[in-house]
Amino acid sequence: MMHLFTQFLLALFATLGFAVIFRVPARHIPACVVAGALGWITYLISDYSMGSPVMGCFFGACMVGLCSWIAARLFKEAMTIFVIPGILCLVPGAKIFYTMEALLKNDIENMAQIGVQTLMMAGAIAMGLLVIGAIIKVFWALIHKTVTIKDKF
Amino acid sequence: MDKKKQKGILMLAVRAGNIMMKSGAEIYRVEDTIERICKSCGIEHVDVFATPTGIFVSTDNEESTNTVTNIKRVRSSETDLTKISRVNQFSRSFTTTDMTVEEGMEILDDIENSKPYPFWIRALSAAMVTACFSVIFGGNAMEFCVTVIVGLMCYIISRFLEKYEINFFIRGFCCCAFAAFCSLLAASSISGVSYAPVISGCIMLFVPGIPITNSIRDFLSGNMLSGVARLTEACIISVSLAAGAGVVIKLWYMLGGIAL
Repeated sequence: MMHLFTQFLLALFATLGFAVIFRVPARHIPACVVAGALGWITYLISDYSMGSPVMGCFFGACMVGLCSWIAARLFKEAMTIFVIPGILCLVPGAKIFYTMEALLKNDIENMAQIGVQTLMMAGAIAMGLLVIGAIIKVFWALIHKTVTIKDKF
Repeated sequence: MDKKKQKGILMLAVRAGNIMMKSGAEIYRVEDTIERICKSCGIEHVDVFATPTGIFVSTDNEESTNTVTNIKRVRSSETDLTKISRVNQFSRSFTTTDMTVEEGMEILDDIENSKPYPFWIRALSAAMVTACFSVIFGGNAMEFCVTVIVGLMCYIISRFLEKYEINFFIRGFCCCAFAAFCSLLAASSISGVSYAPVISGCIMLFVPGIPITNSIRDFLSGNMLSGVARLTEACIISVSLAAGAGVVIKLWYMLGGIAL
Protein backbone atom coordinates (compact mmCIF):
# COMPACT_ATOMS: atom_id res chain seq x y z
CA MET A 1 0.00 0.00 0.00
CA MET A 2 2.79 2.35 0.98
CA HIS A 3 4.60 1.34 -2.17
CA LEU A 4 1.55 2.18 -4.30
CA PHE A 5 1.23 5.55 -2.62
CA THR A 6 4.86 6.44 -3.32
CA GLN A 7 4.43 5.35 -6.93
CA PHE A 8 1.28 7.45 -7.19
CA LEU A 9 3.15 10.53 -5.99
CA LEU A 10 6.07 9.87 -8.33
CA ALA A 11 3.76 9.46 -11.33
CA LEU A 12 1.94 12.61 -10.25
CA PHE A 13 5.11 14.67 -10.29
CA ALA A 14 6.37 13.09 -13.51
CA THR A 15 3.11 13.96 -15.27
CA LEU A 16 3.23 17.45 -13.79
CA GLY A 17 6.66 17.88 -15.37
CA PHE A 18 5.43 16.72 -18.77
CA ALA A 19 2.41 18.98 -18.47
CA VAL A 20 4.67 21.99 -17.95
CA ILE A 21 7.06 21.02 -20.77
CA PHE A 22 4.19 20.58 -23.23
CA ARG A 23 2.49 23.69 -21.91
CA VAL A 24 -0.87 22.42 -20.79
CA PRO A 25 -3.02 25.46 -19.91
CA ALA A 26 -2.43 26.14 -16.21
CA ARG A 27 -6.06 25.65 -15.17
CA HIS A 28 -6.14 22.14 -16.66
CA ILE A 29 -2.90 20.88 -15.11
CA PRO A 30 -4.58 19.28 -12.02
CA ALA A 31 -6.97 17.17 -14.10
CA CYS A 32 -4.22 16.11 -16.44
CA VAL A 33 -1.89 15.17 -13.57
CA VAL A 34 -4.58 13.05 -11.89
CA ALA A 35 -5.28 11.25 -15.19
CA GLY A 36 -1.59 10.39 -15.56
CA ALA A 37 -1.16 9.19 -11.99
CA LEU A 38 -4.34 7.08 -12.06
CA GLY A 39 -3.18 5.54 -15.34
CA TRP A 40 0.15 4.58 -13.79
CA ILE A 41 -1.55 3.08 -10.69
CA THR A 42 -3.86 1.06 -12.94
CA TYR A 43 -0.79 -0.15 -14.81
CA LEU A 44 0.90 -1.25 -11.56
CA ILE A 45 -2.17 -3.01 -10.17
CA SER A 46 -3.02 -4.88 -13.37
CA ASP A 47 0.64 -5.71 -13.96
CA TYR A 48 0.80 -7.16 -10.43
CA SER A 49 -2.48 -9.07 -10.56
CA MET A 50 -2.08 -10.43 -14.09
CA GLY A 51 1.67 -10.74 -14.18
CA SER A 52 2.01 -9.09 -17.57
CA PRO A 53 3.18 -5.53 -18.23
CA VAL A 54 1.44 -5.67 -21.61
CA MET A 55 -1.97 -6.03 -19.97
CA GLY A 56 -0.89 -3.35 -17.52
CA CYS A 57 -0.24 -0.94 -20.37
CA PHE A 58 -3.57 -1.81 -21.92
CA PHE A 59 -5.60 -1.07 -18.80
CA GLY A 60 -3.43 1.92 -17.92
CA ALA A 61 -4.10 3.45 -21.33
CA CYS A 62 -7.82 2.71 -20.92
CA MET A 63 -7.77 4.55 -17.60
CA VAL A 64 -5.94 7.56 -19.02
CA GLY A 65 -8.35 7.65 -21.96
CA LEU A 66 -11.38 7.51 -19.69
CA CYS A 67 -10.12 10.22 -17.31
CA SER A 68 -9.14 12.46 -20.22
CA TRP A 69 -12.51 12.02 -21.85
CA ILE A 70 -14.30 12.96 -18.64
CA ALA A 71 -12.04 15.98 -18.17
CA ALA A 72 -12.48 17.00 -21.81
CA ARG A 73 -16.28 16.86 -21.46
CA LEU A 74 -16.20 18.69 -18.16
CA PHE A 75 -14.03 21.58 -19.34
CA LYS A 76 -15.18 21.54 -23.00
CA GLU A 77 -11.60 21.13 -24.22
CA ALA A 78 -9.78 19.01 -26.74
CA MET A 79 -9.08 15.53 -25.37
CA THR A 80 -5.47 15.68 -26.61
CA ILE A 81 -4.55 18.14 -23.89
CA PHE A 82 -5.17 15.54 -21.19
CA VAL A 83 -4.12 12.39 -23.05
CA ILE A 84 -0.61 13.41 -24.13
CA PRO A 85 0.98 14.11 -20.72
CA GLY A 86 -0.96 11.26 -19.11
CA ILE A 87 0.05 8.56 -21.56
CA LEU A 88 3.77 9.37 -21.40
CA CYS A 89 4.22 7.54 -18.08
CA LEU A 90 3.16 4.31 -19.73
CA VAL A 91 5.49 4.51 -22.72
CA PRO A 92 8.13 1.80 -22.12
CA GLY A 93 11.24 4.00 -22.02
CA ALA A 94 13.17 1.74 -19.64
CA LYS A 95 12.40 -1.26 -21.84
CA ILE A 96 13.99 0.50 -24.83
CA PHE A 97 17.13 0.87 -22.74
CA TYR A 98 17.16 -2.75 -21.52
CA THR A 99 16.67 -4.02 -25.09
CA MET A 100 19.70 -2.05 -26.16
CA GLU A 101 21.71 -3.21 -23.16
CA ALA A 102 20.95 -6.85 -23.96
CA LEU A 103 22.07 -6.21 -27.53
CA LEU A 104 25.36 -4.77 -26.30
CA LYS A 105 25.95 -7.87 -24.19
CA ASN A 106 25.39 -10.03 -27.28
CA ASP A 107 22.52 -11.62 -25.42
CA ILE A 108 20.28 -12.11 -28.45
CA GLU A 109 17.74 -14.25 -26.64
CA ASN A 110 17.12 -11.65 -23.96
CA MET A 111 17.14 -8.86 -26.51
CA ALA A 112 14.44 -10.53 -28.59
CA GLN A 113 12.36 -11.17 -25.51
CA ILE A 114 12.53 -7.64 -24.10
CA GLY A 115 12.31 -6.09 -27.57
CA VAL A 116 9.12 -7.94 -28.41
CA GLN A 117 7.72 -6.99 -25.02
CA THR A 118 8.52 -3.32 -25.69
CA LEU A 119 6.74 -3.44 -29.03
CA MET A 120 3.77 -5.22 -27.48
CA MET A 121 3.56 -2.62 -24.71
CA ALA A 122 3.51 0.18 -27.25
CA GLY A 123 0.85 -1.73 -29.16
CA ALA A 124 -1.13 -2.26 -25.95
CA ILE A 125 -1.16 1.47 -25.28
CA ALA A 126 -2.54 1.97 -28.77
CA MET A 127 -5.14 -0.76 -28.27
CA GLY A 128 -6.14 0.67 -24.89
CA LEU A 129 -6.79 4.13 -26.32
CA LEU A 130 -8.58 2.60 -29.29
CA VAL A 131 -10.85 0.34 -27.24
CA ILE A 132 -11.76 2.99 -24.70
CA GLY A 133 -12.45 5.44 -27.54
CA ALA A 134 -14.79 2.96 -29.19
CA ILE A 135 -16.58 2.08 -25.93
CA ILE A 136 -17.11 5.73 -25.06
CA LYS A 137 -18.42 6.48 -28.53
CA VAL A 138 -20.96 3.65 -28.36
CA PHE A 139 -22.07 4.56 -24.83
CA TRP A 140 -22.36 8.22 -25.66
CA ALA A 141 -24.43 7.45 -28.75
CA LEU A 142 -26.70 5.16 -26.70
CA ILE A 143 -27.19 7.77 -23.98
CA HIS A 144 -27.97 10.43 -26.55
CA LYS A 145 -30.40 8.13 -28.31
CA THR A 146 -32.36 7.36 -25.17
CA VAL A 147 -32.44 11.04 -24.27
CA THR A 148 -33.76 12.06 -27.67
CA ILE A 149 -36.35 9.28 -27.65
CA LYS A 150 -37.55 10.45 -24.24
CA ASP A 151 -37.83 13.95 -25.59
CA LYS A 152 -39.88 12.78 -28.54
CA PHE A 153 -42.50 10.97 -26.55
CA MET B 1 -19.24 36.39 -52.44
CA ASP B 2 -16.30 38.03 -54.16
CA LYS B 3 -13.04 36.30 -54.68
CA LYS B 4 -11.12 38.54 -52.33
CA LYS B 5 -13.35 37.77 -49.38
CA GLN B 6 -13.22 34.07 -50.14
CA LYS B 7 -9.43 34.23 -50.16
CA GLY B 8 -9.36 36.08 -46.83
CA ILE B 9 -11.49 33.45 -45.14
CA LEU B 10 -9.38 30.67 -46.62
CA MET B 11 -6.17 32.29 -45.38
CA LEU B 12 -7.62 32.60 -41.87
CA ALA B 13 -8.74 28.99 -41.81
CA VAL B 14 -5.40 27.69 -43.10
CA ARG B 15 -3.55 29.80 -40.55
CA ALA B 16 -5.61 28.36 -37.70
CA GLY B 17 -4.98 24.86 -39.03
CA ASN B 18 -1.27 25.54 -39.39
CA ILE B 19 -0.93 26.67 -35.76
CA MET B 20 -2.74 23.56 -34.57
CA MET B 21 -0.72 21.17 -36.70
CA LYS B 22 2.56 22.77 -35.60
CA SER B 23 1.63 22.43 -31.95
CA GLY B 24 0.92 18.73 -32.28
CA ALA B 25 -2.82 18.35 -32.89
CA GLU B 26 -4.25 15.30 -34.61
CA ILE B 27 -5.30 15.46 -38.28
CA TYR B 28 -9.01 15.12 -37.62
CA ARG B 29 -9.07 18.24 -35.46
CA VAL B 30 -7.17 20.33 -38.01
CA GLU B 31 -9.38 19.30 -40.92
CA ASP B 32 -12.50 19.83 -38.86
CA THR B 33 -11.45 23.31 -37.72
CA ILE B 34 -10.64 24.49 -41.24
CA GLU B 35 -13.89 23.12 -42.61
CA ARG B 36 -15.99 24.71 -39.86
CA ILE B 37 -14.39 28.12 -40.24
CA CYS B 38 -14.93 28.12 -44.02
CA LYS B 39 -18.49 26.82 -43.83
CA SER B 40 -19.51 29.34 -41.17
CA CYS B 41 -18.63 32.16 -43.58
CA GLY B 42 -20.85 30.77 -46.28
CA ILE B 43 -18.41 28.89 -48.47
CA GLU B 44 -20.40 25.88 -49.60
CA HIS B 45 -17.79 23.45 -50.84
CA VAL B 46 -14.68 22.95 -48.77
CA ASP B 47 -12.26 20.09 -49.10
CA VAL B 48 -9.33 19.73 -46.75
CA PHE B 49 -6.49 17.27 -46.93
CA ALA B 50 -4.04 17.58 -44.08
CA THR B 51 -0.86 15.66 -43.37
CA PRO B 52 1.72 16.35 -40.64
CA THR B 53 3.88 18.19 -43.19
CA GLY B 54 1.31 20.05 -45.26
CA ILE B 55 -2.25 21.31 -45.46
CA PHE B 56 -4.16 21.45 -48.75
CA VAL B 57 -7.46 23.31 -48.86
CA SER B 58 -9.68 23.97 -51.81
CA THR B 59 -12.85 26.08 -51.62
CA ASP B 60 -15.54 26.58 -54.19
CA ASN B 61 -18.64 28.70 -54.33
CA GLU B 62 -21.74 28.44 -56.48
CA GLU B 63 -21.71 32.17 -57.25
CA SER B 64 -18.04 32.68 -58.09
CA THR B 65 -16.48 31.15 -61.13
CA ASN B 66 -13.13 30.32 -59.59
CA THR B 67 -11.94 27.75 -57.12
CA VAL B 68 -9.61 29.16 -54.47
CA THR B 69 -6.94 26.76 -53.30
CA ASN B 70 -4.15 27.05 -50.78
CA ILE B 71 -1.26 24.75 -50.04
CA LYS B 72 0.53 25.32 -46.76
CA ARG B 73 3.77 23.62 -45.88
CA VAL B 74 3.81 22.88 -42.15
CA ARG B 75 7.14 23.05 -40.37
CA SER B 76 6.73 21.26 -37.10
CA SER B 77 7.86 23.05 -33.96
CA GLU B 78 7.46 22.49 -30.23
CA THR B 79 4.40 20.77 -28.83
CA ASP B 80 2.26 23.45 -27.26
CA LEU B 81 -1.07 22.27 -25.94
CA THR B 82 -2.17 25.75 -24.91
CA LYS B 83 -2.09 26.84 -28.55
CA ILE B 84 -4.28 23.89 -29.54
CA SER B 85 -6.73 24.71 -26.78
CA ARG B 86 -6.85 28.39 -27.69
CA VAL B 87 -7.30 27.83 -31.43
CA ASN B 88 -10.06 25.40 -30.54
CA GLN B 89 -11.84 28.06 -28.52
CA PHE B 90 -11.18 30.60 -31.24
CA SER B 91 -12.81 28.46 -33.92
CA ARG B 92 -15.80 27.90 -31.65
CA SER B 93 -16.28 31.62 -31.07
CA PHE B 94 -15.53 32.51 -34.69
CA THR B 95 -18.20 30.18 -36.03
CA THR B 96 -20.86 31.20 -33.51
CA THR B 97 -20.37 34.98 -33.42
CA ASP B 98 -20.07 37.41 -36.35
CA MET B 99 -16.37 38.12 -35.95
CA THR B 100 -14.69 39.67 -38.97
CA VAL B 101 -11.71 38.08 -40.70
CA GLU B 102 -9.41 40.92 -39.59
CA GLU B 103 -10.34 40.47 -35.96
CA GLY B 104 -9.83 36.75 -36.33
CA MET B 105 -6.36 37.29 -37.79
CA GLU B 106 -5.43 39.49 -34.83
CA ILE B 107 -6.45 36.81 -32.36
CA LEU B 108 -4.49 34.19 -34.29
CA ASP B 109 -1.45 36.51 -34.27
CA ASP B 110 -1.77 36.76 -30.53
CA ILE B 111 -2.04 32.97 -30.17
CA GLU B 112 0.91 32.29 -32.45
CA ASN B 113 3.18 34.73 -30.59
CA SER B 114 2.27 33.49 -27.12
CA LYS B 115 5.30 32.27 -25.24
CA PRO B 116 5.70 28.92 -23.46
CA TYR B 117 6.36 28.72 -19.72
CA PRO B 118 9.68 30.38 -18.75
CA PHE B 119 12.77 28.36 -19.62
CA TRP B 120 13.92 27.75 -16.05
CA ILE B 121 10.52 26.35 -15.05
CA ARG B 122 10.60 23.96 -18.01
CA ALA B 123 14.16 22.93 -17.22
CA LEU B 124 13.25 22.24 -13.60
CA SER B 125 10.22 20.20 -14.69
CA ALA B 126 12.46 18.21 -17.00
CA ALA B 127 14.72 17.48 -14.03
CA MET B 128 11.68 16.47 -12.00
CA VAL B 129 10.42 14.14 -14.74
CA THR B 130 13.74 12.34 -15.11
CA ALA B 131 14.29 12.06 -11.36
CA CYS B 132 10.80 10.68 -10.71
CA PHE B 133 11.23 8.09 -13.45
CA SER B 134 14.64 7.02 -12.16
CA VAL B 135 12.97 6.15 -8.83
CA ILE B 136 10.02 4.48 -10.58
CA PHE B 137 12.52 2.28 -12.44
CA GLY B 138 14.10 1.17 -9.17
CA GLY B 139 16.59 3.90 -8.32
CA ASN B 140 17.58 4.92 -4.78
CA ALA B 141 17.98 8.34 -3.19
CA MET B 142 21.52 8.81 -4.50
CA GLU B 143 20.46 7.99 -8.05
CA PHE B 144 17.57 10.43 -7.67
CA CYS B 145 20.05 13.25 -6.94
CA VAL B 146 22.32 12.30 -9.84
CA THR B 147 19.37 12.12 -12.24
CA VAL B 148 18.14 15.58 -11.27
CA ILE B 149 21.43 17.05 -12.46
CA VAL B 150 21.81 14.85 -15.54
CA GLY B 151 18.18 15.40 -16.59
CA LEU B 152 18.52 19.15 -16.22
CA MET B 153 21.64 19.21 -18.39
CA CYS B 154 20.05 16.90 -20.97
CA TYR B 155 17.08 19.22 -21.35
CA ILE B 156 19.32 22.27 -21.71
CA ILE B 157 21.40 20.50 -24.38
CA SER B 158 18.25 19.46 -26.20
CA ARG B 159 16.98 23.07 -26.25
CA PHE B 160 20.40 24.29 -27.36
CA LEU B 161 20.48 21.86 -30.29
CA GLU B 162 16.94 22.75 -31.24
CA LYS B 163 17.85 26.42 -31.37
CA TYR B 164 20.38 25.62 -34.09
CA GLU B 165 17.80 23.53 -35.98
CA ILE B 166 19.54 20.20 -35.57
CA ASN B 167 17.12 17.46 -36.65
CA PHE B 168 15.29 15.31 -34.14
CA PHE B 169 17.30 12.16 -34.82
CA ILE B 170 20.64 13.77 -34.00
CA ARG B 171 19.09 15.59 -31.07
CA GLY B 172 17.80 12.42 -29.45
CA PHE B 173 21.07 10.68 -30.18
CA CYS B 174 23.22 13.43 -28.63
CA CYS B 175 21.05 13.88 -25.55
CA CYS B 176 20.98 10.17 -24.77
CA ALA B 177 24.69 9.83 -25.44
CA PHE B 178 25.32 12.65 -23.00
CA ALA B 179 22.98 11.11 -20.42
CA ALA B 180 24.75 7.77 -20.77
CA PHE B 181 28.17 9.38 -20.41
CA CYS B 182 27.19 11.31 -17.28
CA SER B 183 25.54 8.33 -15.64
CA LEU B 184 28.53 6.08 -16.37
CA LEU B 185 30.79 8.73 -14.91
CA ALA B 186 28.60 8.95 -11.82
CA ALA B 187 28.34 5.19 -11.52
CA SER B 188 32.10 4.75 -11.59
CA SER B 189 32.91 7.60 -9.21
CA ILE B 190 30.07 7.48 -6.65
CA SER B 191 29.45 4.24 -4.82
CA GLY B 192 25.86 3.03 -4.65
CA VAL B 193 24.92 4.52 -8.01
CA SER B 194 24.21 2.24 -10.94
CA TYR B 195 23.81 3.61 -14.43
CA ALA B 196 20.60 1.85 -15.54
CA PRO B 197 17.98 3.91 -13.61
CA VAL B 198 19.71 7.16 -14.46
CA ILE B 199 19.80 6.46 -18.21
CA SER B 200 16.26 5.10 -18.36
CA GLY B 201 15.02 8.14 -16.46
CA CYS B 202 16.66 10.45 -18.96
CA ILE B 203 15.34 8.44 -21.92
CA MET B 204 11.79 9.00 -20.66
CA LEU B 205 12.21 12.71 -21.28
CA PHE B 206 12.70 12.15 -25.02
CA VAL B 207 10.40 9.17 -25.52
CA PRO B 208 8.04 9.63 -28.52
CA GLY B 209 4.75 9.69 -26.64
CA ILE B 210 3.11 12.31 -28.81
CA PRO B 211 3.75 10.64 -32.19
CA ILE B 212 2.44 7.33 -30.79
CA THR B 213 -0.76 8.84 -29.37
CA ASN B 214 -1.41 10.99 -32.41
CA SER B 215 -0.71 8.20 -34.87
CA ILE B 216 -3.36 6.03 -33.20
CA ARG B 217 -5.89 8.80 -33.25
CA ASP B 218 -5.10 9.43 -36.92
CA PHE B 219 -5.55 5.77 -37.78
CA LEU B 220 -8.85 5.78 -35.90
CA SER B 221 -10.20 8.71 -37.85
CA GLY B 222 -9.15 7.10 -41.14
CA ASN B 223 -6.08 9.24 -41.93
CA MET B 224 -3.83 6.31 -42.81
CA LEU B 225 -1.11 8.41 -44.38
CA SER B 226 -0.49 10.52 -41.29
CA GLY B 227 -0.89 7.52 -39.04
CA VAL B 228 1.92 5.70 -40.82
CA ALA B 229 4.07 8.85 -40.98
CA ARG B 230 3.81 9.45 -37.25
CA LEU B 231 4.33 5.81 -36.39
CA THR B 232 7.53 5.85 -38.41
CA GLU B 233 8.60 9.01 -36.61
CA ALA B 234 8.06 7.26 -33.27
CA CYS B 235 10.16 4.28 -34.38
CA ILE B 236 13.01 6.47 -35.62
CA ILE B 237 13.07 8.48 -32.40
CA SER B 238 13.18 5.30 -30.29
CA VAL B 239 16.05 3.95 -32.38
CA SER B 240 17.97 7.22 -32.04
CA LEU B 241 17.56 7.16 -28.25
CA ALA B 242 18.69 3.56 -27.92
CA ALA B 243 21.59 4.11 -30.33
CA GLY B 244 22.83 7.20 -28.50
CA ALA B 245 22.96 5.46 -25.14
CA GLY B 246 24.27 2.24 -26.68
CA VAL B 247 27.22 3.76 -28.52
CA VAL B 248 28.50 5.50 -25.39
CA ILE B 249 28.12 2.44 -23.16
CA LYS B 250 29.93 0.28 -25.71
CA LEU B 251 32.76 2.81 -26.09
CA TRP B 252 33.10 3.14 -22.33
CA TYR B 253 33.37 -0.61 -22.06
CA MET B 254 35.89 -0.90 -24.89
CA LEU B 255 38.07 1.85 -23.44
CA GLY B 256 38.32 -0.10 -20.20
CA GLY B 257 35.70 1.44 -17.98
CA ILE B 258 33.28 -0.67 -16.02
CA ALA B 259 32.26 -4.11 -17.18
CA LEU B 260 28.85 -4.44 -18.80
